[in-house]
Amino acid sequence: MTMTDTALSEELASRRDMIECVGVKKWFGDFQALGGIDLTVKEQEVMVVLGPSGSGKSTLIRCINRLEVHQEGTIVVDGIELTNDLRNIDKIRSEVGMVFQQFNLFPHLTVIDNITLAPIWVRKKSKVEALRVARELLERVGIPEQAEKFPGQLSGGQQQRVAIARSLAMEPNIMLFDEPTSALDPEMISEVLDVMKGLAESGMTMVVVTHEMGFAREVADRLVFMEDGMVVEINNPEDFFTNPKSERTQLFLSQIL
Amino acid sequence: MAAATPSSLVPDRAMHHKRPPFWRNVGVLKWVVQIVVLLLVIGAFWFLSTQALSNLDDKGIPVDYNWMSGPANIQLGEGIDTVPNSAGRALWSGMVTTLRLAGAGIVASTILGVLIGLARLSNNWLANRAAGTFIETLRNIPVLVQMLLWFAILTSLGDLVNNDPETAANEESGPIPGWLYISKKGISLPRFFWADGFYQWLVFLIVGGAIAMFVRRRIQAKQNLVGGTAPTASVPLAIFAAFAVVGWFINPVVGGIGNVFDAMESAWGSIPESGMRIFLSVAAVAAAALWIKRFLDSKRSPAGLAKLTDDDYFRMIFAGVAALAFMAFAWRVWPGGASWLINSGSDFWGWLGDKFGNGRNARPLDGMRPTINEGRFSNYGPTGWTMTVFFGSLFLGLVLYTASFIAEIVRGGILAVPKGQTEAAMALGLSRVQALRKVILPQAFRVIMPPLGNQYLNITKNTSLAIAVGLSDVVQVGQTVYNKNNQTLAVFGIWMAFYLICSLTISAIVNFVNGRLAIVER
Repeated sequence: MTMTDTALSEELASRRDMIECVGVKKWFGDFQALGGIDLTVKEQEVMVVLGPSGSGKSTLIRCINRLEVHQEGTIVVDGIELTNDLRNIDKIRSEVGMVFQQFNLFPHLTVIDNITLAPIWVRKKSKVEALRVARELLERVGIPEQAEKFPGQLSGGQQQRVAIARSLAMEPNIMLFDEPTSALDPEMISEVLDVMKGLAESGMTMVVVTHEMGFAREVADRLVFMEDGMVVEINNPEDFFTNPKSERTQLFLSQIL
Repeated sequence: MAAATPSSLVPDRAMHHKRPPFWRNVGVLKWVVQIVVLLLVIGAFWFLSTQALSNLDDKGIPVDYNWMSGPANIQLGEGIDTVPNSAGRALWSGMVTTLRLAGAGIVASTILGVLIGLARLSNNWLANRAAGTFIETLRNIPVLVQMLLWFAILTSLGDLVNNDPETAANEESGPIPGWLYISKKGISLPRFFWADGFYQWLVFLIVGGAIAMFVRRRIQAKQNLVGGTAPTASVPLAIFAAFAVVGWFINPVVGGIGNVFDAMESAWGSIPESGMRIFLSVAAVAAAALWIKRFLDSKRSPAGLAKLTDDDYFRMIFAGVAALAFMAFAWRVWPGGASWLINSGSDFWGWLGDKFGNGRNARPLDGMRPTINEGRFSNYGPTGWTMTVFFGSLFLGLVLYTASFIAEIVRGGILAVPKGQTEAAMALGLSRVQALRKVILPQAFRVIMPPLGNQYLNITKNTSLAIAVGLSDVVQVGQTVYNKNNQTLAVFGIWMAFYLICSLTISAIVNFVNGRLAIVER
């Protein structure tokens, strides 16, 4: 608790809670992936989650929109608690956008159909309105000319930007990013990070699992360092990189920087 | 200094440009091989057929198809005509039985296979294991054994008519006498018939369907503009139902359409024979020309016409030769073909014309209950919907056997869609049903379709096992025919043509569907 308090600036602390995890535990068989996570993400905050592989970062954010089911503790998203109630799950999923490492675009649909699918079928928007929003979003992620192509015809970076546009089309309050640049060629990483930076500047609440330290340092409001399913340190970027509190964080930083 | 350069390292331009001798020239060899193979195939076929024909001729059995219209003297166990008046009619009855078996088998095994495949993927332990047991048992027993097993089971059912004088003499048995019979003679249920007014009613159904489709389009267009939910199903269905109901009572008012068909009959019949031949020739040449044009178009890119390979030229020449061969066939080989086409076309319109103009009280459909005649189900006339034990054992054997393969194909197709697709759909807020309909199934279909098409071909070909239980399919009837008239080769020709047409039709449909589902990639 004390860690969280020191990292929260006064301004940040005064904001509304968007995601609140209390004592979240998760097992895969007899392997414990999450060992009791306490974490609060504030409105319009960008939280970057770091940690070695297998530390539970992905599992944590997949629990936030119920792609994984946590077994103990509570998760409250935008005032709605995640339980087995189908209506709650549907509500949260349509308000929380998620971007995957492997893009997961629908290969049988064109780019524009990928983006308009959920607004039309879940939000019951008119096709004309959904198309208008989709074209705006494609403009925003910088690939308006690719609208009629199929995902298989795009580069990895373009596909990931389509995936971001697809999530944004549902007008989410929160965006989750699960290693969005890890499957990309080096020269394509920056085009995706630029889109994410723009999104952060527009005031989106974001939880980002990434290995891009430059991005973390520049964009994050707070950094979370996880290991073995536990939160080791929560800190502001400045202190995290220059003056980390825990020894484990120091070791991690010395290995990657 | 040029002289110091070792001569072997300097490219010898003269040698580069010299044409290789023709026996080492790949371009020439390709052409030679193509032509030689073609000639060998044609020659072998020609040799074998002339040999067989002349041998048979020597034995006094000339091969022709004139016997088709001659008397059959055959009685079939079941079919559209059990006492056919010609051998051709007998074979046709066999073909219809085969097609019925194949069609019913394809529909039933698809439905059963999909259900079992989904059950195999289910999280429900019982459904999962039951489906697994079904698949592993049935696909590991030969289909012929299964058919014989079903035949043994079905023929051990009770008698249709109880002839035992001790109990109730000559009493109809069956769970519900007059409505439902299950016996060693087969299963019979009440059924609907297309009665006199059916074709007039069909006009109402088609018009109603077209209007319903149009309205559906309009509703969808409006929904595209304003969003929300719209009655895209209920309103068009109501329109269609209204047409069906009103048409049921007033169908004779469209009887006049029959006059149009009668006019078509006489117009078709007045086509001169040479006119039909010329039309066929022009059509053949036009088809070849169109094929060549589309072929060339497919080779053309914005950069211009790609360089054509020898294979490309060979294909184009082959298309032209095929057109010429067709013309030769129409003018020389089968001179009567043109008049046959004219006559059957005219017959078709006449047949259609006869279906209209039936009186004021022509009902579109009629219901009929099973009838029993001398201890057997009636073959003709207003009777129930009967599946004999012969048809039933074939049907059950084929369907259960093929369904076990289709189940595995369906399971594989759904598993082939990456888990990330489901997760992405879920993360976007799509419901499970929406995710399945919009994301998973469209992708699974593309994996499922080709092997599913193979199973459809297998069913169609496996119907020829009907001979094992004595069902009068095209093979059994054909055998009976050539045992009587010794026209073995001619019957084989009919069999081959029949199965080839069936298989090619199924392949064409599957390929068409598959092409529509294909995913565009770089």
